Amino acid sequence: MTSPAPRDWAAMLGRTSFIELEARARAVALLDDGTARELCGPFDRIESPWLEPQGVVPESDDGVVVVKGGIDGRPAVVIGVEQAFQGGGIGEVSGVKIATALSLAARDSRDGTPTAAVLLLETGGVRLQEANLGLATVAEVCSALLELRALQPVVGVVAGALGCFGGMSIAAGLCTKLIMTEEGRLGLNGPEVIESEAGVAEFDASDHTLIWGVTGGAQRTRTALADMLVLDDVAALRSAVRDAVAQGVPDEHRSQRIGELRARIEAVDPADPPEPSKLAAVWADAVPPKGGLR
Amino acid sequence: MAQAGTRNWTRRRTAKRERLEAVRPFTSGRVLDPGRVPEALQALLRPGDRVALEGDNQKQADFLAAALAGCDPDAVHGLHLLISSISLPEHLDVFERGVARRLDFAYAGPQSVRMAQLLADGKVEVGAIHTYVELYARMFVDLIPNVALLCAEQADREGNLYTGPSTEDTPTIAEAAAFSDGVTVVQVNELVDKVPRVDIPGDWVDLIVESPRPFAMEPLFTRDPRHIGQVEIVMAMMALRGIYERHAVTTLNHGIGYDTAAIELILPTYGEELGLRGKICKHWTLNPHPTLIPAIESGWVESVHCFGGEPGTERYVAARPDVFFTGGDGSLRSNRVLCQLAGQYAVDMFIGSSLQIDADANSSTVTEGRLTGFGGAPNMGHDARGRRHPSPTWLDLLTGEAPVVRGRKLVVQITQTFRAGGTPAFVESLDAIQVGKDAGMPVPPIMIYGDDVTHVVTEEGVAYLYKAAGPAERREAVAAIAGATPVGRHIDQRRVDALRRDGLVALPEDLRVDVRRAKRSLLAARSVEDLVAWSGGLYDPPARFRTW
Repeated sequence: MTSPAPRDWAAMLGRTSFIELEARARAVALLDDGTARELCGPFDRIESPWLEPQGVVPESDDGVVVVKGGIDGRPAVVIGVEQAFQGGGIGEVSGVKIATALSLAARDSRDGTPTAAVLLLETGGVRLQEANLGLATVAEVCSALLELRALQPVVGVVAGALGCFGGMSIAAGLCTKLIMTEEGRLGLNGPEVIESEAGVAEFDASDHTLIWGVTGGAQRTRTALADMLVLDDVAALRSAVRDAVAQGVPDEHRSQRIGELRARIEAVDPADPPEPSKLAAVWADAVPPKGGLR
Repeated sequence: MAQAGTRNWTRRRTAKRERLEAVRPFTSGRVLDPGRVPEALQALLRPGDRVALEGDNQKQADFLAAALAGCDPDAVHGLHLLISSISLPEHLDVFERGVARRLDFAYAGPQSVRMAQLLADGKVEVGAIHTYVELYARMFVDLIPNVALLCAEQADREGNLYTGPSTEDTPTIAEAAAFSDGVTVVQVNELVDKVPRVDIPGDWVDLIVESPRPFAMEPLFTRDPRHIGQVEIVMAMMALRGIYERHAVTTLNHGIGYDTAAIELILPTYGEELGLRGKICKHWTLNPHPTLIPAIESGWVESVHCFGGEPGTERYVAARPDVFFTGGDGSLRSNRVLCQLAGQYAVDMFIGSSLQIDADANSSTVTEGRLTGFGGAPNMGHDARGRRHPSPTWLDLLTGEAPVVRGRKLVVQITQTFRAGGTPAFVESLDAIQVGKDAGMPVPPIMIYGDDVTHVVTEEGVAYLYKAAGPAERREAVAAIAGATPVGRHIDQRRVDALRRDGLVALPEDLRVDVRRAKRSLLAARSVEDLVAWSGGLYDPPARFRTW
């Protein structure tokens, strides 16, 4: 293996880690100072009714925090998933909190208060204890996200090594812009799920080089499935989120470029997949940039 | 010709000559054909031979172990194996197939369950479970090997060996065999024209074989700071104030674990704030722990002598020769026996984690159904009575009756009162007692004897056991910091207060430790990426620790 690419070591050591903060503090950190106001917080005591019967202690915010405030002076809502609770799994209550927050932002946007949204997606997907309800709410999340993104940007952030998997990775795919760190991961099925379903020969979940080579932030950004790769640092994330919000709503979202995405899938032979390091080149060949030579 | 009744004084030498003659068809000079190693071993070995198979704490002569396990039990049987660390399945396959019968070892961590099973099935006779240096010592006394199967990074055709950063036990075992007319066989990763440095001279080495793949090596001393939580941090803060600062500990050994990693990682932050840099933690005997990098980089550490290497730290260590022992080629030179010796006689403190501690502070990592053995912890975790040189720290724990007084080494056990899953760390009877009985051992496999333990640290506080007037008071001091465990739950608050007044127990407030500050932000590095950053990119963490 080659030695790591040169980095700015002083910047790394001087940083304030974003992912080290809990979800509430992360959400507040992205908003303009003094503007944060939590909606449907823990003191509203809306807990999941499904966990206690299964021997899991519920939490009063069900692992999702919704905080309103300003981003560079524009109204915004930050929705943060707390990965320390149930691996960031989305249940009935937490899913509805996300979907409702997005819907309300869409309503405000239509009513003359354009409200952008930021999703902090540290999540393994649907919470297994609430399987069907969780799936249903993830569908609602996606639906509300589609409603809002036509009006205002919805920015996704995947900052930690837990990553964003399962149903919530679909939400990540629908985001207007997606920001990742090198430690962040993104994929539909998590590596452990693939290994247990298809065998270790298909995907070795203990092979970190392989896993981050396929699902890691650097690869996802290189292959244009994410848009910005930033250091896990509060100031860097804050500035990246601000830029993404400022760019507004594009003419066409990534998830709408179906032809391009299909061409990418066709360019890869699953029986003989390219090395992760070659994938960006394979895909660049398959889908030349707009206005390019091919 | 020898006269009748005259003793033959060169039987071992003759046997060695015959053995080497028997393997000649498989060799070219000293070099064995890798494809014919099982046949060669079969020709070399004789039933009942005592064979030292290099299974160190970290590196493993895995190619030779597999070849040995593949020997025909009709030709080779009844071997007596000496293995310090039983890490590979092949180490036990040898017994299952009947190639070997008797075993003397020190540690069986990864194979401890199967080890217990083989013992119960009567497939293996265990001579004894040793500590590391104890087993090596016996290789020079009553367990002299006939054959040593070793590993090294490189060899030249004269047999000169380069063991690389992880020298560990190779020179010691080689010496035991080479100077008793034993046969030394070494698997090497690479045969070269010239080795970068000679760790073992060629005339100690009889046979070398180039292994098809590099020897197995585990990153046992790497702890990801991500897994260090507030409880480890509060214990680290108390240890620093209540022990390191109070006794001015400058020479020390850290056992491996998240508890000690937390201490290493708060030196550049909390330790710096306390103004302790240059006053404590200057000279170390320990492996190149990646979590020590921030302390080294911020000027705390003057020297480190290592038992072995640690995968990923090679370039970092080579770039810090003022701190680490390195050869002319630039790479680390480690040596387990010498580092253990240093740990016994030259350092003032050992601190390490335990799985179970009883009311008398006896400590053990043996749990139900596992025969793990000891490794090196007991070597480090005791007061070496052969020590005579004083140091302020050693003299701080003055013991004995005047005028014959002596100092004492600090032996510190650090653990949370409950481990993961709600298992109490403080118990009325150690599992080791029952395991010892079940395995028919004459004495229970205690890792660190309670009477050697001078301090115990938990999240509740620090117990200064060396100050106790007698066994009853020692037990009270242990109970006072044992929380809600079976050992701790009955002590009366008034007794705890009395013990605090007498200085036998210190709670966080007694040590002026503000528990509210025990946050992960106090760690100089909070992830493996941070450790890489501290090293300026010189540390190359093994893939399993990379999350990028």
